[in-house]
Amino acid sequence: MIDTRTNRWLLIALQILLAAFVLIPFFWMVSVSLKPATEPFAIPARLWPEAPTLDNYITAFRPEFRTYFVNSLVVSLSTVFITVTLGLLAAYAFSRGALLIITALMSAVVLAQMFPHSAIIIPIYKMMRAADLLNTYWALIIAYVSVTLPVAVWMLRGFLVKLPVSLEEAAAIDGAAPFRIFRDIVVPLARPGVIATAVYVLIVTWQEFLFALSFTSTRDMRTLPVGLNDFIGQYGIRYGELMASSVMVSVPVIAVFFFLQRYFVAGLTAGAVKE
Amino acid sequence: MATFADRWLLWLFLAPAIILLALFMYYPMVGTVIESFYETSFISPEPRFVGWAVYEKVVASRDFPEVVWNSIVWTLGVVVLQNVLGFFTALLLNQGLPAQGMLRAIVLLPFVLPGVVAAILWRFMYDPQLGLINSILIRAGLLENNAAWLADSSTAMAAVIFAALWKGFPFSTLIYLAALQNVDREQIEAATIDGAGPIRRLRDVVLPAIRDVVLVNVVLTTILTFNYFDLVWVLTRGGPQNATHIFPTKIFEAGFGQFRFGEAATYGVFSILVLAVLVSLYVIAQKAAVNRRGTA
Repeated sequence: MIDTRTNRWLLIALQILLAAFVLIPFFWMVSVSLKPATEPFAIPARLWPEAPTLDNYITAFRPEFRTYFVNSLVVSLSTVFITVTLGLLAAYAFSRGALLIITALMSAVVLAQMFPHSAIIIPIYKMMRAADLLNTYWALIIAYVSVTLPVAVWMLRGFLVKLPVSLEEAAAIDGAAPFRIFRDIVVPLARPGVIATAVYVLIVTWQEFLFALSFTSTRDMRTLPVGLNDFIGQYGIRYGELMASSVMVSVPVIAVFFFLQRYFVAGLTAGAVKE
Repeated sequence: MATFADRWLLWLFLAPAIILLALFMYYPMVGTVIESFYETSFISPEPRFVGWAVYEKVVASRDFPEVVWNSIVWTLGVVVLQNVLGFFTALLLNQGLPAQGMLRAIVLLPFVLPGVVAAILWRFMYDPQLGLINSILIRAGLLENNAAWLADSSTAMAAVIFAALWKGFPFSTLIYLAALQNVDREQIEAATIDGAGPIRRLRDVVLPAIRDVVLVNVVLTTILTFNYFDLVWVLTRGGPQNATHIFPTKIFEAGFGQFRFGEAATYGVFSILVLAVLVSLYVIAQKAAVNRRGTA
């Protein structure tokens, strides 16, 4: 008990160390992105640019980047919409159906979230090729919906099982059709779960790299992660532009995440800890 | 339940998700196994059935033992470090100190950062001339000359693991923090009154209470790490001289770099087998957890 004070300072020191470990790379990314081309990198590097400028951002926001951004946006938002819709339907059935086969199917869904993407990509690639979907939005959207559905169903089901069935039963007695009960009672109540799941799907698809790299072949279909990876070759030495692009890729997800953090954290940990 | 008195409706709700998963998750698992018995190459893209020939070729190749060994080092390194750092960070965030909420938000940043961005950032951090790592180490007097962390086969793996730790530990922190918040306060207080110090409280009260979460989380991060592609590919492309080639990067290179689908699929089958072992462990861990909760 005597050393509580020292302990407290020790803990605060550890907190500062931890924050430094996490933040220094971020700080540097932003610092370099704001560095004018005239300021040298020479070691010892200056931690913060002498004359910060947005030049790198203006140069990095070139037409290709805008194309990648639009592609990422289309693919991610479509995936979020489809995954959450199909996931909610399935999760509802899984949370209310009592058949034995339902339990078995739910295990199969949970299992699928662990499948290695690199081990299933070749057959998916061949299916997309056979359907003539390679190098289209659909190849990516279909693949992304499939790989995000397992976790989405699992998260949503975690929410739905906690909702009281009595409301639905009351509505059924009043003569409401099952689909109306789902749409007008269940979906509104499941809103926090829907938001958490949507954030999860967005984070995953916005950064997805392997499928995007394998299924797109022309520049006009590339998404941001693949485009960024291409930039390494093209603008390898121009780190200022590379970092400015990186910041622009990251800001949308980071903003969404922090805005909706409490939903997401509750959604993810509720399933992970209690199941 | 009342809502699904009609079985048809139940299946209607389930059908889209089940069909998609069957077609694009389960069928491809089987498809990869089939593919591994066929040989294709850039020159002869028409698949040819060759039985176990591809397996024999892959296992006898110089690359195979390297990929296996690298995968073990990579997975063990990342999982151990990530869970240890993740756990202690969670403990630190659960002490009721000031600025805790802000620190939690900061810690979650690398988790949200897109994988490719994290990889590019760390490529830059490790850059021999311009990177911050060399700059810091030289200034601190810990290093004399610029080190090429990612281009030197003796340091590349360690460098990649360190970057993965930075990106991955927040996820473990998140899970452990939630588990810690569920630990019974009264038990901890009772132990304190009985004179147990912080280390004894951790060992005898907290750890037993969250044992199940730790077990499940370790297996889960093992599966995710073993299959992680983005970071390694962008940082090193498996190089230098195979020093960081793991299963996912090897599969991508063989399949989409060289169009040897049979070879890529064979590596895929091996990673499916590893997954099968890990999933069995996961199921056992969860069963044990449920049983323990049942008897407690």
